[in-house]
Amino acid sequence: MPNAIIDLAELLARVENDHGLMRELLLIFKDEFPGHLQALRDAVDSMDGDRVTAEAHTLKGMLSNLAATSAADAAARLEQLGQNREISKFQEACSVFESVSKDLLLQLDACMAEVHG
Amino acid sequence: MRILVADDEMMSRKLLLKTLERAGYEVTAVENGRLAAEQLCLPDGPRLALLDWVMPELDGPGVCREVRKTKHQSYVYMVLLTSKESKEDVVAGLESGADDYLIKPFDPEELKARLRTGLRILNLEDRLIEAREEMRFQATHDGLTSLWNRGVIMDLLGRELARSRREHVSTAILMCDLDHFKSVNDTYGHVTGDDVLKETAKRLLASVRSYDFVGRYGGEEFLIVLNNCKPAFAFARAEEICKAISQKPMPSSSGPIPITMSLGLLLSQEWGFRPVEELLHEADVALYAAKAAGRNCVKLASPTMPSLAPEPQEQEHIRMRR
Repeated sequence: MPNAIIDLAELLARVENDHGLMRELLLIFKDEFPGHLQALRDAVDSMDGDRVTAEAHTLKGMLSNLAATSAADAAARLEQLGQNREISKFQEACSVFESVSKDLLLQLDACMAEVHG
Repeated sequence: MRILVADDEMMSRKLLLKTLERAGYEVTAVENGRLAAEQLCLPDGPRLALLDWVMPELDGPGVCREVRKTKHQSYVYMVLLTSKESKEDVVAGLESGADDYLIKPFDPEELKARLRTGLRILNLEDRLIEAREEMRFQATHDGLTSLWNRGVIMDLLGRELARSRREHVSTAILMCDLDHFKSVNDTYGHVTGDDVLKETAKRLLASVRSYDFVGRYGGEEFLIVLNNCKPAFAFARAEEICKAISQKPMPSSSGPIPITMSLGLLLSQEWGFRPVEELLHEADVALYAAKAAGRNCVKLASPTMPSLAPEPQEQEHIRMRR
C-alpha cells in the first residue's frame, strides 16, 4: 500500500460530505492529471521556465483541491524553481514530483473504489 | 443572488459551482479572465464575483481593474482566490480593485461567510440608491399628486419649446384649472379636496400620451405639455381631456363629487419665438376666457384675438374665485 497522499477526511470536509461531488472531482482529476503531468515533464526536459511555472501552478491547484498536500507542495516547489529560473534543479524536483504522483494515482484508484462502493 | 466564478482549472470551477449552488447562489462559471470581465461589465451582469488570480487572457487583478473602469450603475463585489500569500501580493490584489481575497484551497464555511459580507455591502448600496431615488423623486414631483412639480414642468416646457422650434413642429400648452375647487374644500374639507386633486392627476395622466408632460402648476392648476402635437388635433385632444375630468363624478372620502375643469390652449407654432413666461401668460388668458365662457370648456389662445386679460390685480382676484 502506498503512503496516503490524499487526506480523505479533509477532502470530504471540503466537499461538505457530498460523495457525489467527491466522485466527480476524482474523475476530473483522473482525466486531466496525466496530460498536465506530461506537459510538465516536457517543459522540464526543454528547460522552459515559463511553461514549468504555468504547469506546476495548475497541478498545484488541482492537488490542493484534492487535499493532496505533499503532492501540492512538490508542485509548488517546481513552480517556485520555474519562477526563479533555477533550471539546474528542474530534473530533480520533477523526479520527486513524479514519485509522489505515482503513489497518488495508486491511492486515487483505491479512493474511487471506495466512493463507488 | 447571481455570482460569477472565474477559474481556468476545472476541478476548482466544479467545486466552487457546487458549493455555491448548495448555498443558494445562481452561479455562472467561466474559464478565463476575459470572459469574466465581459460578464461583469454587462449592465445587468452579476454583482458578486469570485476570481482566480492566475488565469489565461486576463488575470484576476486585471478583471478587477476592467470592472472598476466601467461606470457601473451598481457596485460589483469581487473576491480574489489566490494561492499567493505574500503581503505584497495581497496589497497588489486589493489595489487592483478587489474587495477581499481568499487563500486556496478554500474552506467552504469561510467562503460563504466572506460572500455574506459582500452581500451586506451590496444590500447597503441598494438601500442608498433607493434613498437617493426617493429624494430625487421628491425633489422633482408634487408630493400630493406625484405629477411633475412646478419647477420641473416649467423646465420641461422650455426644453420642449426649443426642440419644437428646431424641428419645426408645434407644442400644445394646456393651462388647466378645476372649476369651483374652493367650494369643494369649503363644503367637504381639505382631505376630500386632496382626493379630488389626486383623482384629477390620475385622469390627466390617463388622457395623454406617455411622452407628454403633466405637472401641478399651483393649488388646483395643472400644466400639460403635448409634444409634437399637430394644431389640427390639439383642440380635440384638449376637449377630450376636459371630458375625462367631467364625464364621471370623482370618487372621494366624502363620496362621488362632480368636478369640471376649464382649459386654456396655446399652440406654440402660432406664436413664434416668445419666452416661456409670455406663452404661459397667454395660455392663462385663454383659461380666463374659458372661465368667462361658463367653465368646463377649452378656449384657444390666438395671437390675433384681442387680449381679454384682466389687470394683474384683477387676475389675482379671479384666481381666488376659481
